[in-house]
Amino acid sequence: MPAKTLADYGELAEGVGEILISEERLRQRVAEMARQISLDYAGKNPLLVGVLKGVLFFMSDLLQLLTIHAEIDFIAVSNYSLETRKRGMVRLVKDLEIPIDGRHILFVEDVIDTGLTLNYILNNLRSRNPASLEVCVLFNKPNHRLIEMPIKYKGFDLPDRFVVGYGLDYREKYRNLPFVALLKPEVFRG
Amino acid sequence: MKSIKGKASSSPPDTPAVSPSRRSSFYHPAEETFATILDYYGIEWEYEPRTFPLEWDERGNVIEAFSPDFYLPQQDLYIELTTLRPKLSTKKNHKLRRMKELYPEINVKLFKRKEMRDLMVKFGLYEQAAMIAGTGAQNQDK
Repeated sequence: MPAKTLADYGELAEGVGEILISEERLRQRVAEMARQISLDYAGKNPLLVGVLKGVLFFMSDLLQLLTIHAEIDFIAVSNYSLETRKRGMVRLVKDLEIPIDGRHILFVEDVIDTGLTLNYILNNLRSRNPASLEVCVLFNKPNHRLIEMPIKYKGFDLPDRFVVGYGLDYREKYRNLPFVALLKPEVFRG
Repeated sequence: MKSIKGKASSSPPDTPAVSPSRRSSFYHPAEETFATILDYYGIEWEYEPRTFPLEWDERGNVIEAFSPDFYLPQQDLYIELTTLRPKLSTKKNHKLRRMKELYPEINVKLFKRKEMRDLMVKFGLYEQAAMIAGTGAQNQDK
């Protein structure tokens, strides 16, 4: 079957510029990460925790490639906006359903840039006394980092550009692109 | 020299984290926005708490200095924000280079115009992002 071109993605491709990470590269890297996690967590029945919504794609693909038993759960946090700011600080808007006391927790994230949200979440999870807490991130944007933290599993370092696809959005669009791409500058002006 | 501090956990829940008195101390609206983002995530910050001498005359008087916009004490990190177009930020780049030469132990991170815009977009502040992308940004930078 011939390789897909941007035109094959219809309206989803409108505004999309250069493809930075192809579907194939994403698939390969997620498989590598899954292999390592399966080795490290064998017999530990880890709980994979993700933050809605961007991590859905990565979490789903990663989980299907693990060769060990693992559970998943999700939390959601209030994103910074002019509206939420008026209501105070960041807070959980959906908590975990599974207790994590004494569990091996692997926090799975689609992208880390400033580290502000992740710092808040890790502090929250740490206070619940898990047996271990490690971070697995698919996309790392180190240039934007304000809060440094150890990352045990990392997929790709992303350039200092605004990217979309595979869970990453711009104004809630482009998440469902199966690759990672740049947006054309006119998208930001529009 | 002014020095104001922020910590979101002490802010009343129904008011903006940056109080009006603190807000008036910022040179640029982008700095105020940055401070409110830090407050929202509970990150302690100080505004321009320290000035680093960079050049001296033959009598030892300081003739050039640099005051990074923010200091994050928990991270031991200084942050400098700029909304200047790259070709207009030569002076700031020179100061940052001198900082690294004279104070290599000090961590300073520069958020450039494009990074500031991306940060605003990330936090859903599309109007502020558009302001940074607009021509007005270069005039408001200190």
